[in-house]
Amino acid sequence: MSPEPRNAGRIVAGADLRRDVEERPDVCVVGSGAGGAVAAARLAEKGLRVVVLEEGARFGREDFKMDESTAYPALYQEKGQRATADQAISILQGRAVGGTTVVNWAVSYRLPERVLSHWQKVHGVEGLDAAALAPHYSAVEERLHVREVAIADVNANNRVLWDGAGKLGLARELLRRNVWGCQNLGYCAMGCPIDARTSMDLTYVPDAVRAGARVYSNVRAVRVERSGRRAATVHAVALDPRLDRPGGRKVVVRPKVLVLSGGAINTPELLLRSGLDPGGRVGARTFLHPVVASLAVFPGRIEGYRGTPLSVACRAFADRGPGKVGFFLEAAPTHPMMASTAVPGFGADHEELMSRLPDVNGLLALAIDGFLPGEEGGTVSLRGDGRVRVDYPIRPEVWEALREGAKALARIQLAAGAEAVYSLHEDPVVMRREADVARLDRAPWLPARVPLFSAHAMGGCAMGMDPARSVVDSRLRMHGMENVFVVDASVFPTSLGVNPQETIFALARWAADHVAAAIG
Amino acid sequence: MARRQRYQRVLLPGEKEGRRGFLKKGLVGAALLAVGGGTWLVTRRTRPVPALGGPLRVLSAEEATVVLAIANRLVPERAGFPRPLEVGVPDKVDAMVAMAHPATQKEARQLLRLFENALTGFLFGGQLRPFTASSPWEQDERLRGWARSRITLRRSGFRALKRLVYAAYFGSPMTWAAIGYPGPPPVPPPVVHEPPAPGLDEEEDAKPAAPRPPARPAPRPAEPAAAPRPAEPAPEPRPSTPPEPRPMDPAPAPRAGMPLPAEGTPP
Repeated sequence: MSPEPRNAGRIVAGADLRRDVEERPDVCVVGSGAGGAVAAARLAEKGLRVVVLEEGARFGREDFKMDESTAYPALYQEKGQRATADQAISILQGRAVGGTTVVNWAVSYRLPERVLSHWQKVHGVEGLDAAALAPHYSAVEERLHVREVAIADVNANNRVLWDGAGKLGLARELLRRNVWGCQNLGYCAMGCPIDARTSMDLTYVPDAVRAGARVYSNVRAVRVERSGRRAATVHAVALDPRLDRPGGRKVVVRPKVLVLSGGAINTPELLLRSGLDPGGRVGARTFLHPVVASLAVFPGRIEGYRGTPLSVACRAFADRGPGKVGFFLEAAPTHPMMASTAVPGFGADHEELMSRLPDVNGLLALAIDGFLPGEEGGTVSLRGDGRVRVDYPIRPEVWEALREGAKALARIQLAAGAEAVYSLHEDPVVMRREADVARLDRAPWLPARVPLFSAHAMGGCAMGMDPARSVVDSRLRMHGMENVFVVDASVFPTSLGVNPQETIFALARWAADHVAAAIG
Repeated sequence: MARRQRYQRVLLPGEKEGRRGFLKKGLVGAALLAVGGGTWLVTRRTRPVPALGGPLRVLSAEEATVVLAIANRLVPERAGFPRPLEVGVPDKVDAMVAMAHPATQKEARQLLRLFENALTGFLFGGQLRPFTASSPWEQDERLRGWARSRITLRRSGFRALKRLVYAAYFGSPMTWAAIGYPGPPPVPPPVVHEPPAPGLDEEEDAKPAAPRPPARPAPRPAEPAAAPRPAEPAPEPRPSTPPEPRPMDPAPAPRAGMPLPAEGTPP
């Protein structure tokens, strides 16, 4: 078979463009992460001409040096500094060919059925049920080699959660991960230096390219131009990879169908920037799984920066009954740069805890937001100077969940043998025995008084039947637009209550059929 | 040296209102502004530290001096911990700020100037000196005042400064010996997935797009026989797949956890 240059799939770096480019594909996919890569591969494999625009760079394993100070600026949104406007919640999102899948901790979960049925009952989602998603979950699990972690691969940091939950009689589970030949280096968050994680850049992006898709890296979509009820043109700029600013070359794409897969903050941002918000709901219902962390000093070595960063979860508190926000518990690695920004206080106290870093265990409680009546979560909007802005007012019920989560973590750490447990308040609550845990009730639970985190941005283009309350319909097509689909975590009308990547994969694979049907 | 300018409207990251609105939240801010007291207080100068070194990208020498003064209190002298200036904290913070959106750069600089500002020190802590000219005790009080303030804006400002300074400091290998962090392990050989897709690396001729083979498990290194088994049994029985056969890797990979000397040698 002789190659046909014009349609040959390839990855083109924005810096290599010698002149402005115009493309007229069947489908333009904006974003190459969990949603965009799977959708692009599936659509290309159907024989459609696909162009993918990715603002991040394409990295290879040789770029991954297991060094925080270079990895975060290179691989994360806003150089690793993304946060809510009040700095209360740091938001970790990847930025690369492959999106967040290049830097996440590789946990793969299917969506609990009760979440899908909640979406049907409360948000009018139709046709997206467990039976519809099951074959897509199975397909991505096979492609990405999703397997349960062997207990021998649980590192000491995760053992604290495993052992502590076990001693307290709490249900705990080993996680499933999309890795292949993993050697437990512990540096997932900085990019895998041995290609062991089956991230999008190693799987579905090459699949898409093999099927003829053209992927532009370092090319940022800046505006969608509409013509009536259709998106007519996507205007994009090539970024200079050294400065990460527009380098002069432009890419213009005039697709038959537009698929937005920039993730839960960047997709709403692009729509707002383009004035594409017919119902005024773009950016609303942003959910973060707000995370509180708990640090504990152990008498023996923990070395939380070593080994599979996340292998155990405790879901005993995921469903706490009506009126309560559930939470689930996981572990967090303790690399020094990230740990130092979380360690409470400053000065001598901070130094003292940092000096014990090899003995420090880090655990997380993730609040399952978006399920209470009237709970609207956060908002994505644009600032006057063009930057994106994320606000997340933390409801009392979410604070309650974070406080109870911190208490559960402290009890688990103490049960597992911790000498002392520290809350992350600037003046930490230090707990040495079970009786101390109640002191967390009196701690100041206020924004930016205790640092919170999010690695799971969701929502902002909620799916649902009612255009007055949602942005896309149950087939992920934007209300009021004929040829615009949103295929990423932003369509979730609530948070998921589990690590989201695998649900984004499966959703994208499912959605590709609807996108293809729209081309006709 | 110090720019003699009327103090600009100060917006912290995420702030909606202007400086006046912000100061009104203080007890006497509006009154002080009305009588012009602010102008006198803010003209007190920052004396730049001569040792700051190399050219700065975004921050002024005065702003970098504020960064250093903050870093010196965030990391006070302690055996084994290099001083922030040795680690190059002001320069690294400058580099981090320089990577941000221009509007974010502006906010970071305003935040540093506001933190240094004697007026804010006076309003919130009764101190009439700029931060950099205050005693270590006063500086710690000022930092604590921001960290634990009842005003969200000040706590947000403290969070931003703390993140920048500690990230700059502990991101450096020079600091790792003090905290017992051995640095990253050696890199084992990569996992071989599949033949690379055509067109991915070179503009080589595309090969026929054969149907993709299902993911084939790559050879996994055999687990060391001496790997400590967990004391507890595996959890509740679950329908987990039996362990896959793992062909022996010819060269046993080094165990993760093997300490490596950090690259930077602490002084």
